[in-house]
Amino acid sequence: MTTLRNVAVVGFAQLPIVARNEHRMATEMLYPVICQALGECGVERDSIDFQIAGSTDYMDGRPFGFVSALDVMGSWPARQDLHLEMDGAFCAYYAWVRMQAGDCDTALVVAHGKTSEGEPDRVLNLQLDPYYQAAIGLDPTSTAALQASAYMTRTGAADRDLAAVAARNCAAGMRNPDNQVRTAAAADELMKTPWKVAPLRTGYLPPVGESATCLILAAEGKAEKLCDRPVWMHGVDHRTEMQALGARDISRSASAQLAAQKALAMAGMKDAAATDLVELSAATPVEELILCEALGLNAKASQPVINPSGGPLCGHPIMSTGLIRMGEAFRQLSGCAGTRAVPGARRAIAHGTQGHCLQHNIVWVLGTERRWT
Amino acid sequence: MNEPPKEPIKYVDAKVYLPYNYVAGDYKARYLRALKDKKILGSKCSKTGKVFVPPLISSPESFAPCNELVEVAHRGVMTTFCIVNIPVIGRTLEIPYVAASVALDGADISIFALLQECKPEDARMGMRVEAVWKPDGERRGEWEDIMYFRPTGEPDAPAASYIHRL
Repeated sequence: MTTLRNVAVVGFAQLPIVARNEHRMATEMLYPVICQALGECGVERDSIDFQIAGSTDYMDGRPFGFVSALDVMGSWPARQDLHLEMDGAFCAYYAWVRMQAGDCDTALVVAHGKTSEGEPDRVLNLQLDPYYQAAIGLDPTSTAALQASAYMTRTGAADRDLAAVAARNCAAGMRNPDNQVRTAAAADELMKTPWKVAPLRTGYLPPVGESATCLILAAEGKAEKLCDRPVWMHGVDHRTEMQALGARDISRSASAQLAAQKALAMAGMKDAAATDLVELSAATPVEELILCEALGLNAKASQPVINPSGGPLCGHPIMSTGLIRMGEAFRQLSGCAGTRAVPGARRAIAHGTQGHCLQHNIVWVLGTERRWT
Repeated sequence: MNEPPKEPIKYVDAKVYLPYNYVAGDYKARYLRALKDKKILGSKCSKTGKVFVPPLISSPESFAPCNELVEVAHRGVMTTFCIVNIPVIGRTLEIPYVAASVALDGADISIFALLQECKPEDARMGMRVEAVWKPDGERRGEWEDIMYFRPTGEPDAPAASYIHRL
């Protein structure tokens, strides 16, 4: 492995996840988190070289809506800017690549989505092909339920196993003040909640929520000046699979498995189990089980801790969910995770995903020490 | 298989239905409410003092917050314009008509506006114009509460007074 440029997360801010923010229109939600993240680094907007935003106009119902984000990002004097119709975790990758190319040292990575203004199920239906899959009204819950059935049949996992995963996330999530769901629920109670789409119950699924997030990245040399405890990128990889659900084994995630292998190799690690915590963008308990399998983790082992934040089951603001996983890894490794802190955490994995049934996956490995010397 | 199908199905109709319910946001909510009372609100940049209409929560230029809402005038200057000669879907205006950029007195950026009671050939940059409101009781708190702008008959404004507010 060639030596790469050390890049660190030096700041993160998010709006608490809520069902509907009545006070701020879509891009207005970004302004306070950008100010907060810059404030934590103690710098003005002019100190940041590059900016990138993740959002989807379909979610916000505004053609070219992402352009209005420029108005709250401090885009003057004229900046280098990019927009991805992807979760912020993928935007961070783009910024990281730019830093590897050496054409910027610092980057503002933001994500936003006003999911409450539209109907996410209708929007995400449009990710499927218009002839067969979108036409029959498949939404993300339906495709996740198809995936759940496939996984449960292959592995023998039962309803109780799903409930246990959801209950563990809910218990952890109570300690995260940014979560939308902050109530404990025992597995037995969750198993009594009604089916949303069997085999998935309402208790196993996150409510519609919205947020805005901002992560600041800086390369070695700058990072130490912006943050007392920068959290360094050790490895990253992202892989995608076919769109057609029938063309891949949705009971597994081949793309998450390969991305994890590659990211761990870049990090100089053999095993994801050697990390202290893992934050997964799992919107259902079955996605969490599939991702653990892909990463080679035993979901019942005590290390690494899976989703100490409570995970997406306690708040799933589309476009920000993956960036929040990176933010949570930063908070844990920089000692800002409050009562949900994993003691002595030094290495973490943050995962983001896009598309139905975990179609596209990104895996970040982060650590408290520089990766390359 | 190499023969083209005899009666191919060449198209699939798909109807996309995506309803939205937009949050105005605290600033625009107050701006829209004020239109009912024939008031136009802007927001003031805490760093540069520039006034934005409709109100923005922060200055796109300075990145500083706009902490104060201020009332601006109903009248201003036509900074630039174009003459529309083709019918626009959803608009029943007689063509040609003038679509204008108007910098209201007290505002540092312009708004888009319709100019009426003026022949297109008489329209010019620097022309002074004023808002014509819907009558009392008919205003609903929306941009259409201002029906259009019309010339005031005042002397034209010098270019230097509006060239930075196009």
